[in-house]
Amino acid sequence: MTMKMKMQRTVTGLSLSPSVKVKLVSAGFQFTADLLNLKPLQLSKEAGLSQQEALEVLQAARTDGDRAGAGLTALELLQQEDDIRSIVTFCSQLDTVLGGGLPVGKITEVCGAPGVGKTQLCLQLAVDVQVPPCFGGIGGQVIYIDTEGSFLVQRVVDVATAVVRHCSQLVEDDEQQIAMTAFTVESILSNIFLVRCHDYVELLAELHLLLDFLSNHPKVRLLVIDSVAFPFRQFDNLSQRSRLLNGIAQQLITLATKHCISVVITNQMTTRLRGGQSQLVPALGESWGHAPTIRLHLYWEKSQRLATIFKSPGHMDTTVQYQITSDGFRDVELAATKETGSNCC
Amino acid sequence: MVVLREGMCPGLSEDLVRDLRAAGVKTVEELVSSDIEGLAQKCSVSYKALFAIRRVLLAQHTAFPVSGADLYEELLSSTAILSTGNPSLDKLLDSGLYTGEITELSGGPGSGKSQVCFGVAVHISYHLKQSVIYIDTTGGLTASRLLQMLKAETSNTEEQASVGGGSVKAVIVDSVSAVISPLLGGKQNEGMSLMIQVAGVLKTMAKDFNVAALVTNHVTRGGNGEVLPGLGASWSHIPRTRILLERVERAVSISCSSLRSATLIKSSRQVQAALTFTSSAAIAQY
Repeated sequence: MTMKMKMQRTVTGLSLSPSVKVKLVSAGFQFTADLLNLKPLQLSKEAGLSQQEALEVLQAARTDGDRAGAGLTALELLQQEDDIRSIVTFCSQLDTVLGGGLPVGKITEVCGAPGVGKTQLCLQLAVDVQVPPCFGGIGGQVIYIDTEGSFLVQRVVDVATAVVRHCSQLVEDDEQQIAMTAFTVESILSNIFLVRCHDYVELLAELHLLLDFLSNHPKVRLLVIDSVAFPFRQFDNLSQRSRLLNGIAQQLITLATKHCISVVITNQMTTRLRGGQSQLVPALGESWGHAPTIRLHLYWEKSQRLATIFKSPGHMDTTVQYQITSDGFRDVELAATKETGSNCC
Repeated sequence: MVVLREGMCPGLSEDLVRDLRAAGVKTVEELVSSDIEGLAQKCSVSYKALFAIRRVLLAQHTAFPVSGADLYEELLSSTAILSTGNPSLDKLLDSGLYTGEITELSGGPGSGKSQVCFGVAVHISYHLKQSVIYIDTTGGLTASRLLQMLKAETSNTEEQASVGGGSVKAVIVDSVSAVISPLLGGKQNEGMSLMIQVAGVLKTMAKDFNVAALVTNHVTRGGNGEVLPGLGASWSHIPRTRILLERVERAVSISCSSLRSATLIKSSRQVQAALTFTSSAAIAQY
């Protein structure tokens, strides 16, 4: 008896405006099957819709069944994951625990106290993503959304110079020789698209416009938002804030998966009181914590800088040590720094 | 409200539908509640024929009583209990996920919701040789992790390749709140109707196709700082069983312990007393 009727799509499930749906339902149209044999003129008369609206309804009802079924199996997903390289961080320990670097197609959040190196990591990644494929990189471009005004171009030049120097030392064959002629500090800088957003309205608007930008720039592989917290820290209406943030989260997930981009966002820390003790937790509240797929937590312990994977569906909770040198984001041991490149390249 | 269409039942011809329409009867509801005698005259159709149509329509649209014995028989014959692959979680769920029902996992970021989902997916496809539909709304599905879990079950690559294959027994939605919560609140109440619609589809699907639905939800904090599952009170009626996952906080620092606890917060068959367990190795088995 349970199988007596094939599951029918309801009219309210179609992507139509609420007012149109209300009119359809009050005229007695419940399932898409009720609409299929109708002519636009008939429908517009019966449901009190304009002819244009009736046409849209019928189109929506007819094409509705076609959209489903675009799934993929876990095996295909695994092959996709294997095909895409990750973005190296130039800190071999962090790369190892992340399985080769920051994954493309996922959202990674870097959170930490001021001065611990969030922006440094972002700048490093903005350069690293451009490493040519023959050196083990992915040769992509970067969109860098700066909300705090902390993007220092001089610092990018430092980091880029170090990376170019590092790669030029690795040249072994002709292909790499040729790639090196195009991989210069100037080319690196010209492949970073910087967007300065002063408040959350600009940030929201920019994210809406990004889809167009991305279709015109198919080589973009990294989107950095440094930081997502700053424009949202001063917000009176908390429920509106979490709604906006939830919307942003869904937009970023769409960007990351559809355009095959690694999304890196930074977040500030805030103090939470619990049981009389205060603890530092990432800002923007608990529900925002679901937005990033991977959460990296950078913090100080005495004079050491540590990075912990705090949340990730595919990695262990691990802590590694790193340092910020004049060349950028690096391993702690100087000896290991040299190996970083050869390991990952 | 179902619109009258020709062929819905014997005797309901195109002409008759048109005539009924002209008489102001468009839906089944209107036909059933109208005065049959008057209507028969208006549409120049025999009273008997119209009465028969009315009876058939009533029978088609009514709900039939089912006896408890039949229901029990159906339960025994068609309900499957799918083990989650984690013995203590199974115990909490009264031996696993029931087909035809919605089970919910809620928890904060990093509490292991996705890990439990992965575990369930791997267990059903490997041990039960059935298929799973995984709806990922947050981009969290990582195939390499699935492979890792599968490798923990068996080292035989041939076995690894021959998982699944049967009919779909579970639908996992990870997470349901990520797509719904942006629509809730504010002045528009369309979000609420969409949420209930999602719930309705999930329930019908679970029942009609006899699959277990496993959904994940985020958490919010109540007035006194206690942890509550997200999406509010209306949603709380949707899942038959709800489980709250939490990190076991070790010390002041937010940094990590691999222990997670699971608490049963709603169930129609288990005692709701705090049956808390720690599930370090099984869930977070890396």
